[in-house]
Amino acid sequence: MRPAARAPALRDPWWLAAPLVVVALAFVALFLLLPLVAVFGYAFEKGWDVFVAAITEPDAQAAIRLTLLVAAISVPANLVFGVAAAWLVTRFEFRGKGLLVSLIDLPFAVSPVIAGLVYVLLFGLHGWLGGWLAEHDIRIIFAVPGIVLATVFVTFPMVARELIPLMQAQGDEEEQAARTLGASGFSMFWRVTLPKIGWGLLYGVILCNARAMGEFGAVSVVSGHIRGLTNTMPLHVEILYNEYQSTAAFAVAALLALLALFTLLLKRLIGWRIERTVPANAPSGEPT
Amino acid sequence: MSIEALDIAHRYAGMVALDGVSLSVESGELLALLGPSGCGKTTLLRVIAGLEFPDAGRVRFEGRDVSRLGARERHVGFMFQHYALFRHLTVFENVAFGLRVMPFWRRPKRAAIAQKVNELLELVQLGELAGRYPAQLSGGQRQRVALARALAVQPQILLLDEPFGALDARVRGELRRWLRGMHDRIHVTSVFVTHDQEEAFELADRIAVMNAGRIEQLADPETLYTKPASPFVCRFLGEVNELPSSLHAAWSGVSDPQTVAFVRPHDLAFTRTQGNSALRIECVRDLGPTLRIEARHPDLERPLVSSSTRERHAAAPVWAGDVVEPAPRHWLLFRDGERLQADSPGGRGARADAG
Repeated sequence: MRPAARAPALRDPWWLAAPLVVVALAFVALFLLLPLVAVFGYAFEKGWDVFVAAITEPDAQAAIRLTLLVAAISVPANLVFGVAAAWLVTRFEFRGKGLLVSLIDLPFAVSPVIAGLVYVLLFGLHGWLGGWLAEHDIRIIFAVPGIVLATVFVTFPMVARELIPLMQAQGDEEEQAARTLGASGFSMFWRVTLPKIGWGLLYGVILCNARAMGEFGAVSVVSGHIRGLTNTMPLHVEILYNEYQSTAAFAVAALLALLALFTLLLKRLIGWRIERTVPANAPSGEPT
Repeated sequence: MSIEALDIAHRYAGMVALDGVSLSVESGELLALLGPSGCGKTTLLRVIAGLEFPDAGRVRFEGRDVSRLGARERHVGFMFQHYALFRHLTVFENVAFGLRVMPFWRRPKRAAIAQKVNELLELVQLGELAGRYPAQLSGGQRQRVALARALAVQPQILLLDEPFGALDARVRGELRRWLRGMHDRIHVTSVFVTHDQEEAFELADRIAVMNAGRIEQLADPETLYTKPASPFVCRFLGEVNELPSSLHAAWSGVSDPQTVAFVRPHDLAFTRTQGNSALRIECVRDLGPTLRIEARHPDLERPLVSSSTRERHAAAPVWAGDVVEPAPRHWLLFRDGERLQADSPGGRGARADAG
């Protein structure tokens, strides 16, 4: 916030402002900046070659590939789910809508470990569907499908949560206008809705992607930690660390941290775009 | 193209929005739906457009039943109260939208679309602003873009929801005359919603006055004003004095205590009297071209109001404190919400069957 923009009456005295600023900065340095520096510090402790070796090693490569694969499946899936859910919630009135909105938030509310356990309970060897799956030789738990399912579950709210308030604020008059001008459902969505929600959607997708790549708890439960097969990057970091290969662990962790930084940057850029595009038209009035 | 709405009934979350409304609009007509907010006028407009499906009733265009068709299939031009311009498209693309989304076998060629859009932008006098975005336009400009956009697909019917509601007073009057001129040129059947009676009177061929989900009266402006069908219409179309039988029997000749005489301020004068009258002038205010005279009666909640010209007042002046009698030039008699055959000097012959 620019202090110049504030009324003198709202400006805090220096003896109050200074300690607050110091405390806040100290917190940021201690809890956010220091760990980040430490990750990169440890990763490059033994030089560039060791870092490169750690992330080009076959198991690490497999973990990176699996992480990318999981994100490549779960992010588009949640993109579609998220848009559909936001559309449903903001454009239609129906019984149980409140319940649906709460359910969308469920993955935020429950511990990811529980999410993983639910899938084990459902699809595991002794789970409800386990017997049937085993008979048909379909592997979900301790295999890639389980990891994808758990990731989809955990990241489900990211896109929908981002879109629902945005679409509520924008209203649907433009869509109605498109209808009266003869647009089909698809061209209304493609030419009007999508451009309207575009930046918000991208924002949600980026957050969703970050979470999909970084998810640990739920994935850990269903993965089985099979090296080279069902290890994602976060799991790989843990294994390396537990085996006292801390430099290698931090090298992979540094990759994840880079991803996080990149995500933050994109998020910030898109945030600016959204702020500029939202308040153009007045919201729709009450029908009289 | 004519429009017929038959027995339209609609509820919003348990509230009655339309209560069996029937309306017929002639081809080429400019009709206003006038009423206070919440009277159902916008709902009726949306029902005609196919943006709202009523619980009961039919809609016909030129005799063809369109009740089951959605907004897309009805081919009506609709202008939203806040215009609902596509904020991510330029003025040009906004106007071109309806042409671009046509199925490819009907869609005009690129050049034809450009030509058509430019023609429309000229028509609404926005040629130079084709490259602007809606956020960069003033309210009046946005309104004209919305109109051009609705007209691009050559609708046979144009529906406008509070077309001037979001504009300031000066621009409003200008655009009103402009819209009327436009209608006279292209003669598209038009219905617009408004809560402003001046707007309705200035623009419309006929006006449907709505109240509580019903049409109280559908008539041309003059009939509405001189022969309102109900006390509601009479009250809605401007200030009116309501005189109980004790005050009007003397000159209306109707002694039925259930009757009320409605008198517009400009039809009412006060004359000084020596007799016993409880009506006393409270104040006389000079408003420039006219004078506003208020008289209080102990039985009435509100003072009676007379609006007099300077000349008339000079001929028979009254001042605060004078004891007076009401002397209307023209009045309307209502009994239980029904208008009686009645009124003014000259029309008095009709009073016999009223009493």
